[in-house]
Amino acid sequence: MLNYLQHKYALSKKGAKDMVKAFFACTFSYLVLMLPVSLLYFLVEDLMNGGVSSGGRVVFYIVGSVLCLALIFLTTYFQYNATFFATYEESGKRRVMLAEKLRKLPLSFFGKKDLSDLTSTIMADCATLETASSHWIPELIGSIISTFIIAVSLFFFDWRMALAALWVLPVSFGIVLASSGAMHKKQMKQMKVKMACVDGIQECLESVRDLKANNAEEEYLKKLDDKICAVEKQTIVTEVSNAVFNGSARMVLKFGIATTALVGGALLVSGSLNVLAFFMFLLVVSRMYDPMMASLDNLSAILSANVQCQRMDEILSGDEQTGVEKLTNNSCDIVFDHVAFAYNKNEQVLRDVSFTAKQGEVTALIGPSGGGKTTVSRLASRFWDATGGKVTVGGMDVSAIDPEKLMSLYSIVFQDVTLFNNTVMENIRIGKKDATDQQVIAAAKLAHCDEFVDKMKDGYNTLIGENGSELSGGERQRISIARAFLKDAPIILLDEATASLDVENESLIQESLSKLIQNKTVLIIAHRMRTVAGADKIVVLADGVVAQQGTPHDLMEQDGIYRHMAQLQQQSGEWKI
Amino acid sequence: MKKQSDLSKLFDYAGKYKYLTISSWILSAISALVALLPFVYIWRILKEVLDVSPNFGAAQHLSYYGWMAVLFAVLSVLIYIGGLLCSHLAAFRVQTNIRIKAMHHIVSLPLGFMDGIGSGKMRKTVNESSAATETYLAHQLPDKAGALATPVGLLIMLLAFDWRLGLLSLVPIVIAFLIMSAMTGKRMAEKMKQYQNSLDQMSNEAVEYVRGIPVVKTFGQSVFSFKRFKAAIDNYQKWVISYTKDLRLPMLFYTTIINAVFAVLIAAALFFTASGVTNEFLLNLIYYIIITPVITVTLTKIMYASENEMIVTDAMERIDSIMNMQPLTEDTHPLHPRDNSVVLKGVSFQYKDASNKALDNVNLSVLPGEHIALVGPSGGGKTTLAGVISRFWDVTDGTVAIGNVNVKNISKSELMNTVSFVFQDSKLLKMSVLENVRMAKPSATDAQVLQALHDAQCDDILEKLPQGVKTVIGAKGVYLSGGEQQRISIARVMLKNAPILILDEATAFADPDNEVRVQAAFSKLSEKKTVIMIAHRLSTITNADRIFVIKDGKIIDSGSHAELTAKKGLYADMWQEYNRAAQWKVGAQNA
Repeated sequence: MLNYLQHKYALSKKGAKDMVKAFFACTFSYLVLMLPVSLLYFLVEDLMNGGVSSGGRVVFYIVGSVLCLALIFLTTYFQYNATFFATYEESGKRRVMLAEKLRKLPLSFFGKKDLSDLTSTIMADCATLETASSHWIPELIGSIISTFIIAVSLFFFDWRMALAALWVLPVSFGIVLASSGAMHKKQMKQMKVKMACVDGIQECLESVRDLKANNAEEEYLKKLDDKICAVEKQTIVTEVSNAVFNGSARMVLKFGIATTALVGGALLVSGSLNVLAFFMFLLVVSRMYDPMMASLDNLSAILSANVQCQRMDEILSGDEQTGVEKLTNNSCDIVFDHVAFAYNKNEQVLRDVSFTAKQGEVTALIGPSGGGKTTVSRLASRFWDATGGKVTVGGMDVSAIDPEKLMSLYSIVFQDVTLFNNTVMENIRIGKKDATDQQVIAAAKLAHCDEFVDKMKDGYNTLIGENGSELSGGERQRISIARAFLKDAPIILLDEATASLDVENESLIQESLSKLIQNKTVLIIAHRMRTVAGADKIVVLADGVVAQQGTPHDLMEQDGIYRHMAQLQQQSGEWKI
Repeated sequence: MKKQSDLSKLFDYAGKYKYLTISSWILSAISALVALLPFVYIWRILKEVLDVSPNFGAAQHLSYYGWMAVLFAVLSVLIYIGGLLCSHLAAFRVQTNIRIKAMHHIVSLPLGFMDGIGSGKMRKTVNESSAATETYLAHQLPDKAGALATPVGLLIMLLAFDWRLGLLSLVPIVIAFLIMSAMTGKRMAEKMKQYQNSLDQMSNEAVEYVRGIPVVKTFGQSVFSFKRFKAAIDNYQKWVISYTKDLRLPMLFYTTIINAVFAVLIAAALFFTASGVTNEFLLNLIYYIIITPVITVTLTKIMYASENEMIVTDAMERIDSIMNMQPLTEDTHPLHPRDNSVVLKGVSFQYKDASNKALDNVNLSVLPGEHIALVGPSGGGKTTLAGVISRFWDVTDGTVAIGNVNVKNISKSELMNTVSFVFQDSKLLKMSVLENVRMAKPSATDAQVLQALHDAQCDDILEKLPQGVKTVIGAKGVYLSGGEQQRISIARVMLKNAPILILDEATAFADPDNEVRVQAAFSKLSEKKTVIMIAHRLSTITNADRIFVIKDGKIIDSGSHAELTAKKGLYADMWQEYNRAAQWKVGAQNA
């Protein structure tokens, strides 16, 4: 059971044990709440026999009451500790565990996921599980166990009355459990219309500009309204069926009172039950059903928390990228050896790619969009692992090296720059953790950052807002180049488009890049044929294979994609409106 | 005050369904009262048993009372379900209406309303904030009505049977509440605040951490950013545990005392029966013993209900933040533009929350059929200028006129049929290519759409697609590059064939094949039209009739390419920079 709990609710070993402790704490606490019933039972018995006569009895009741209250106080104390403290500790551990796991997942994982989904798993899903393990689960288990114990003792007391009072419990629980199967299908259907509605809202928000420009917004909104209304209709269907199941479960519980009264009455008349026992059963049934109702709610809540558990499991069971921590490369040549790659089974992006990017040389990747240029550069740095063939750096298979260790060989300057809500200085220092301020500023100067940093309020100590919201595209780009300067890694992966983000500062960025790539292994994704005319080697990728490779000069001689692209670009460069 | 306004806002969204909401409260309250009746019948059962004791054979009505108890119990459940159905129907309708109204409102807003918000966040506001009202309307409010009705019903019953016992059994409850409020005073509010702060901090750290993982990993520093996040998690844990610890004692007392009703009953019984037991007293006592647990249950329900009101207030605030944005106005008696000229007079524009004007007293006049270009540094106001012409935003000062008519007086659809806008990054919708293009002119025949696609140089795209023009964009395996998407959106503009054209040239590099085709499409599109081009690559506009240089929201220079390069101004500098950048080669010899 420990293992099951541990896996299902993403618990640590201690957490699973604590949860079991919480079960017991809840059980005791519920049992103790029933203790006063016995006192009341004795009291009624005394009163039926003419009253509490002796002083000894009075003392008994007073001591008994005080004892009961003390016990309630104590067991509540234990329950409080066992459920709350252990859960919060566990919740912290769970968050740390998720964070630790995220750190080890391949970078490709983050490309596929929505950032807000991941964050909400760490925050909201953890919070749901927090409530589940602090309230729903222990309370449900506690009430089941305590009810079971009470039920067994009632059966010993009088099995006929117990049957009459308790038959409703398994039946109503059965209804809830059985309905969860039937409800599942409806919920899936509901999920589907909900997704369609959310997608519609998203699409509308993203393309509202195009819709308006084409006078098509009314038309589109009509369709969107339908999607939104479809959610309402489907939700009503689901909710009504839910109400039917839930309602019948509740009604069944209420029947218990009647059957107790009926059976009790019959037994009283036949003389095989005394008044006191009858009274006690009525007392028990009137107290038992309300907590049971709460348990039914807990049960449905737990069943619906499965979705959150699954989401968490998806992260926790994701494949980690691992490898040895030791770099064994004897140079920084990158070699692609018959590399194949597919993001999904049916979408082969690279079929058979072989080329070498030599140390100290510039190797340019060109080709039509969708040809696999970006994929190649990502495989080189192990964002993903190749599905066929081998990528090596200086003779070392990259798929055998710990990704973070491998990264120490690379500087990557791509279009999407992630910045942190911190100072310019610290954002650049990401490049090299232990760099001094002087080193950071030197790197910033090389990347022409000082020009805009000097204009900022506090210079390098200016905060740049969440994800650097205060900076322009070109400025962000220059920070990322400064990071690369600071890191000074032997291999540079570069997207040429980074240079063109900021038209008026294009030549500044180009100048920085030229400095950055000196004497490094450079793999550049290029778009302008003129830019790569000075490269040492050009690799033309088309349809997932290397269509051509060689020096720009050689390729210009051949009748192939490179020459075709160069000519086209010549032509488009001369186009005028 | 605040609660009232939330509720009345929700009622506004509910429309006629608000009566369902109100019915749900009434039904819920009735159900709560009916739920008390079975206890009366249990009392009658006991009474009969005690009355005939020990001659139990004389108890004739036991099964009748038993069935009556069931009847009322079932009735109460049925009424409750009926109430919930009402409340759910209304809650769902409110949700639907919020979504529909918000989306219609969003579409009527000036473009750029999402600047700095992001479509993802916006979607969450529309979708999830509306969902947040559901629990409140569907469950909490009716439950609250029920929970409020119960004590009233109980009080009547309690006093009806034996007022001494009735009042006494209320004593522990009053004490429990007094203790609770006394112990959760100012200091706890302070703690609560600290706890909230650390929760916010942890949320923010989580966002930064997750967003940063890819970059932090490439720099081999995930351990450090992880440590930072872990510190936030630990800090939160510290506060939540300390908060829980402080709440422990009050909670313990509360739980113990509210469960102490039995002790009061025992004490009362001992006291009142000192001088002898009557059957009536015994019966009343038993009745109280049975019914008092109901009090505990209901009161606990009320106590937990208030928590979620905050969620609704928060959700309504976020929805209001959208609904309070001012939509563009529409003239009730629209005028028609007389020709294809564009004139801006003293136009200024300032984005909401911006400190500087994006456009500052701009005067510009474009003759019908003229081709002009807007150039200048990014962020200088080029796109904003083009935007106010097509009325994506309304100017803060001055006027924009098309064909001598203020754009504010032209009907929205006529304006859009007069001005076409080719964006850098157009979005295609998840429907077939045919429908995507036809949306620009719903009356167009298939042949006209195909012609437009042909003119927009899309033939190669159609050949490549599995079902040609019927292929659904965004379906599995259908991939269109940015350039290809742009060509299809140009086909839309072709089909619409508006006389005034605003072109936003792409800054990013498409592949050369695409670029040539897009340019060919542009050329075809521009024929015989008034063209305003936002240019990034200066080589493309050297033939434009006039070039306007825009910087810091002002037109600082204008003229033909030859005139401007002759002056030693910003344009000449840009032209030089442009040529230098275009010559750049990557490689060792540049170093």
